[in-house]
Amino acid sequence: MTITLDFFLSMLQQAFIQRAFLIGIIIAILSSVLSTFIVLKKYSLIGDGLAHTAFGGLALGYYLGLEPLWVAAITVILGSMGITKATRSAKISSDAAIALFLQLGLASGIVLLSLARGFGVNLESLLFGSILLVNTEEIITATVILLVTLAIVFLFYKELAYVSFDEIQARAAGMRTWFFDYLISGLAAVAVIASIPIVGVLLISALLVLPGITSLQVSRSLRETVLLSPLFALLSVVIGLLLSIALDTASGATIVVTGLLILLFVLALKKLASKTRKTIRY
Amino acid sequence: MLDVAKPVVELKDVSVQYREVCVLDSITLEIYERDLVALIGPNGAGKSTLLGVILGLIKPSCGSVKLFGEEISPNNLRYVGYVPQKTQTQDSNFPSTVFETVLMGRVPRAGILHGLSEDDKRKVEEVLKMLGIYELRDRRIGQLSGGQSQRVLVAKALVSDPKLLLLDEPTSGIDAQSKTEFYEILGKLNSEVGITIILSSHDIGVVTKIANKVICINRSLFFCGRNSEFSPDLVLPGMYGYPVEVMHHDDHA
Repeated sequence: MTITLDFFLSMLQQAFIQRAFLIGIIIAILSSVLSTFIVLKKYSLIGDGLAHTAFGGLALGYYLGLEPLWVAAITVILGSMGITKATRSAKISSDAAIALFLQLGLASGIVLLSLARGFGVNLESLLFGSILLVNTEEIITATVILLVTLAIVFLFYKELAYVSFDEIQARAAGMRTWFFDYLISGLAAVAVIASIPIVGVLLISALLVLPGITSLQVSRSLRETVLLSPLFALLSVVIGLLLSIALDTASGATIVVTGLLILLFVLALKKLASKTRKTIRY
Repeated sequence: MLDVAKPVVELKDVSVQYREVCVLDSITLEIYERDLVALIGPNGAGKSTLLGVILGLIKPSCGSVKLFGEEISPNNLRYVGYVPQKTQTQDSNFPSTVFETVLMGRVPRAGILHGLSEDDKRKVEEVLKMLGIYELRDRRIGQLSGGQSQRVLVAKALVSDPKLLLLDEPTSGIDAQSKTEFYEILGKLNSEVGITIILSSHDIGVVTKIANKVICINRSLFFCGRNSEFSPDLVLPGMYGYPVEVMHHDDHA
């Protein structure tokens, strides 16, 4: 299907498209601010684990006839605490702990949704989100969550940096590292809950990981990594949304594919720069 | 009135068990202010565990540990600097610069919800200059050599103005020249700045020359005393379980 420029520009003037851009930008900043610490703490799969735990929570909400997002919020917060506790106990590795919660959430969610059939559950919307259907209330909620998260990260930046650098050294220096582990996973849980209606269960983990990984490739310092991460997330969201309108593709998935393409582009540039440096040296 | 020196570190009958395995067995020792202690023992002897006990990272199964005459707490841990084994340290891809990494050493002092000040940054510059790595301040830590990395970790430990510095095999994987320079720095920190140092190492010949106190462990304590009283020929064969010849590299001393 060919979309003309006029149609494209008229789409951009639609209120629901503008709301989609606004919420996309909020979610991009929210997830990318946490992304650096999540990647550096080697918690990259936590978004997946929490998103699937949320899926179980949403299904439970539908099954019990309660507000699904609130039930999901409770299960995700509990899930984040459980993953952190299991990881810190040293009896189970962090990837195994995350996998456990992921499978638990996914399996119980599918069982509950099967039992709740006929209750009008839109599975596609749950899995992939519906950024174009976002309402003002969701934008306000996400903005409040973003502001609180930014304030917390700003207040605890130096501690989060130290704990991400080396937890053993931080503990040896008398820092209560357990608090910051719970803080990171708790903030990730809140980001997941805020993002699920927009990008869905399957794609939120990408937003929590891709900006951090991309930023790590080009930054020269930790400060730069933290500052560049939102920039890459914003690029993914804005370009991804424009592409999804132009190509008429699923917006959440197009945002994630755009993020991946940006990462590949950055990696290719990095390799090219490295080859050029070697050539000049010879 | 006589000023009786209090021990900086005091271990009484400390034992550590992992499940059924005894890693440290009834260790009793005292380390005093301005001591430079060489902690010696074979691989798996419990050296890192002993340092972990002193740092409060490992809880002993029995016995008591005191730091600066008190139970271990975040308050007295602020006066302890720690340089972990190279293999235990952070990811070499961690994106921080030398300056950012060393500045982290000021975080516990600054306290929660307080930002790092210009004074903190000046202190970092001062320590970087003292250790001869000021020129590397903007370099990412992953781009440093083994010797440079170890100096950065020592700098990070030093910026907190520690009274006690613990180093766990800090020279493993470092070339001979860097080792010599590294030990010279430790000697100066002990004699000129007055920092008490505990240094675990396999370089027996070198560390027993710069140290004024020697501790030999292989799960249990084989020797703890002044360097002048330490006789390698008497202590080491029993501790290692086979004859040991100590090589003295004069150029390292």
